[in-house]
Amino acid sequence: MNLQLLISGMSMGIVYGLIAMGMVLIFRSVGIMNFAQGEFLMFGGYFCYTFNQILHLPIVVSLLLASLSMGVVGVLFMRSSYWPLRNAQAKAIIVSAMGASIAFKEGARLIWGSIPVSMDRVVEGTVKIGTASVQWQHIAIIVVSAVIMILVYILLEKTFIGNMMQATAQDQYMASLTGIPVIFSIGLTFALSAMITGVGGGLLAPIFFLNNVMGGTAGAKAFAAIVIGGFGSVPGAIIGGLIVGLVEAFGGAYISSTYQLVLIYVVLIAILMIRPQGIFGEKIQEKA
Amino acid sequence: MTALVEGLKSIKKPFLITILIVLILGSGLPFVTSSYMLRVLNIAMIAYLCVLSVYVLLGMCGQNSFAQAGLWGVGAYLTANMTLKLGVSSVPAMIVAIAGTALLAFILGFAFFRLRQYYFTFATIGLMTILNGLFMNWTPVTGGALGISDIPPFQLFGFTADNETAKFFIIFLVCLIVNVIIKVLFHSPLGRSFMAIRDNELAADCLGVNSLLTKSIAFAISGALCGAAGALYAFLSGYLSYQTFTYQQSTMYLIMIMLGGTISPAGAIIGTLIISLLQEWVRPLQNYMQFIYGIGIMILMIIQPEGILGGGKALYEKYIKPRKRSPKAE
Amino acid sequence: MKNISNPENAVLRLNDVCKNFGGVVAADEICLEMYPGEVFGLIGPNGAGKTTLLNLITGIYMPDRGTVVLGNKNISKQPTYKRARAGIARTFQHPRLLGRCDIKTNIYMGVDLANKRKKKSGQVDNELAVLMKTAGLETVNLKDTVDKLSYGQQKLLEIIRAILCEPSVMLLDEPAAGLNNRETEYVGALIQAAVGKNIAVLLIEHAMDFVMSICDRITVLNFGHQIMTGTPKEVQENEAVIKAYLGGGNHAGR
Repeated sequence: MNLQLLISGMSMGIVYGLIAMGMVLIFRSVGIMNFAQGEFLMFGGYFCYTFNQILHLPIVVSLLLASLSMGVVGVLFMRSSYWPLRNAQAKAIIVSAMGASIAFKEGARLIWGSIPVSMDRVVEGTVKIGTASVQWQHIAIIVVSAVIMILVYILLEKTFIGNMMQATAQDQYMASLTGIPVIFSIGLTFALSAMITGVGGGLLAPIFFLNNVMGGTAGAKAFAAIVIGGFGSVPGAIIGGLIVGLVEAFGGAYISSTYQLVLIYVVLIAILMIRPQGIFGEKIQEKA
Repeated sequence: MTALVEGLKSIKKPFLITILIVLILGSGLPFVTSSYMLRVLNIAMIAYLCVLSVYVLLGMCGQNSFAQAGLWGVGAYLTANMTLKLGVSSVPAMIVAIAGTALLAFILGFAFFRLRQYYFTFATIGLMTILNGLFMNWTPVTGGALGISDIPPFQLFGFTADNETAKFFIIFLVCLIVNVIIKVLFHSPLGRSFMAIRDNELAADCLGVNSLLTKSIAFAISGALCGAAGALYAFLSGYLSYQTFTYQQSTMYLIMIMLGGTISPAGAIIGTLIISLLQEWVRPLQNYMQFIYGIGIMILMIIQPEGILGGGKALYEKYIKPRKRSPKAE
Repeated sequence: MKNISNPENAVLRLNDVCKNFGGVVAADEICLEMYPGEVFGLIGPNGAGKTTLLNLITGIYMPDRGTVVLGNKNISKQPTYKRARAGIARTFQHPRLLGRCDIKTNIYMGVDLANKRKKKSGQVDNELAVLMKTAGLETVNLKDTVDKLSYGQQKLLEIIRAILCEPSVMLLDEPAAGLNNRETEYVGALIQAAVGKNIAVLLIEHAMDFVMSICDRITVLNFGHQIMTGTPKEVQENEAVIKAYLGGGNHAGR
């Protein structure tokens, strides 16, 4: 029972970690919290569904294609919702992202309908570990997500493009002076963020069914993960995601399943009060 | 005390005349519109109170909260419980709802505002989720998923506001009173300390503003507004469901104020009216409405990030004001 | 008139104030006292810890060790707003006014928060008019918003606001930086007006002529250390000061 909860909690948590990581990438790049990140998850899931169930491609190929499509969506989102507002107040950008989030949700409903859909699993069946029976899909989610995280790490830390993206994130003006095309670099960040989040949707869909409003809840949990892990920290987002996933699984089983989301946010507010900068965040010193 | 006097002094003739005109025009409204349209207006006015609460917090004090719909719900459920379970009459129930919500906001504000800016916003998102969870699951108090029904309408001295017109007048009156209060607040020292915090918290501290207390007061005032809106909603609809008081509703308030502009309460009026009426007018296109609505918000933010009021002000200062002045200068 | 000789009359006293930022010494056993109506200069190369000292006095930072005493009250542990109400006013290197409010709101913002509204508002208006004239701002419309003013005018307005709060100590962080000669003269005139109201003025400034001409006493800081305190004449003739400024030995200026 506990092992089962541990595995399913971790698999959910690592997906929240993926969404959270996508949010953090955008935040570090442009200093804005993306309130439409959960919708990337939902859209990625539907793309995957289209390739897998409508075009009958194998699930792994579908995941890859969905991810690439999400890259395009990410760039379009950045071009329409962030770039024209880059010099405006943060609250205008947040409201614009909220508008985009509504448009995503309703767009998905118009295209794919509002009836929940499902698709193939990466690996079928269950495995018995001791007395617990664990779904292979949960293990697949953990493995695939971990691989994605490692790939993103390598991309950001070890490649020229990654360095370029980091330079832009730290100081756009300086980056443009050294010859980095800022819009390209930011576009790439949004694309990467949408791609990793979109894959999460494709992985979750076989367990939970897809619907057009799933982004809201998933986004809220990812967001809790970011705050718990430490704002702006990529490892923090992943650890925070795992914490949220585990609190959800164990809290749901042992405390109350109706108050699952409430429980997560109680943990979040408690952590905010004790350690506002989160687990990995740095304390912000105000400057006079 | 002197603060209040100074705030009251700020009420000049133009403002009084505006209020009077609005009062007269508004009073005529029920006789020229259908009762369905009146219903829409009633709901819009309640939303307006909540949008005003965002104005106080965001427009005046610079703090962004996503918990306003939750506080609205607290006010509504408080009223419902008072009237249905304790048999309290309308006015005391409403006062308890306002005071209770304000107190809750004040205490939470004291805790949350130890966190700055972004972090406060996060905490309010958490609060919103927790409140909605309670509305949905705390069956003895909130009726759970079934909600609370049969809340009696507003009553005072044997008069019962059971038709749409009577409800309209009560909500309209509350809106007017609240507007006057906001005007007084804006010109009072308290309002000035709000704005000092909005523009620069550190500098405000150096001027002697107790920023933690002041921000908590701002949150309490916004809580009181939401509480009033909640009480009115309970009287208006007679039925409460957790599906009304959601995070989405909170974002809607933010969108409304941003659409109108955060520089004055007029922005709240403009934003609320446009969105409320828009939702009615495009009802025939229902299937596409929400989609168009989402895209519309994006386009509007891109064209005019300061909202309609901000755009109007910029136009005024560019074209009309210089012309007005130039004869004097020469 | 200036009771500099008698330590009993000091309005602000720093006793052995220390502050480190993760190993970097920003203030090292700073001792100084200020008297009513005195203009006290604080100079030193960039990074000497001048603004840090100001932040320690206003309570934006808390000292690691040592005490800050205002009048005869130890305020070392008090939060910023309480110190402001107790009578410490400050201006910023870059003016921080309410950009979208009119000038009058900005002025009253400071005045009523400093709990100095016992006076009739007419009296404040009169004093404001006098100070606006001193600062050469008499033609400015009080109903205009602050962002219509030039940078220099905003800095002057910030000083006026500080004076109207009637503090016992006024801290000016580089009031003349970025101002033209004319505006710098107005800053001088405003400082004199503050002195006339028996306010102790702490002045951080890089324009040496200005500092030397207006200050009664000067403290020189370098890397958080207090090199010396004395009259402008003494400071100008001090070897260590010249060394700190011209850069010698290991303490090469940044």
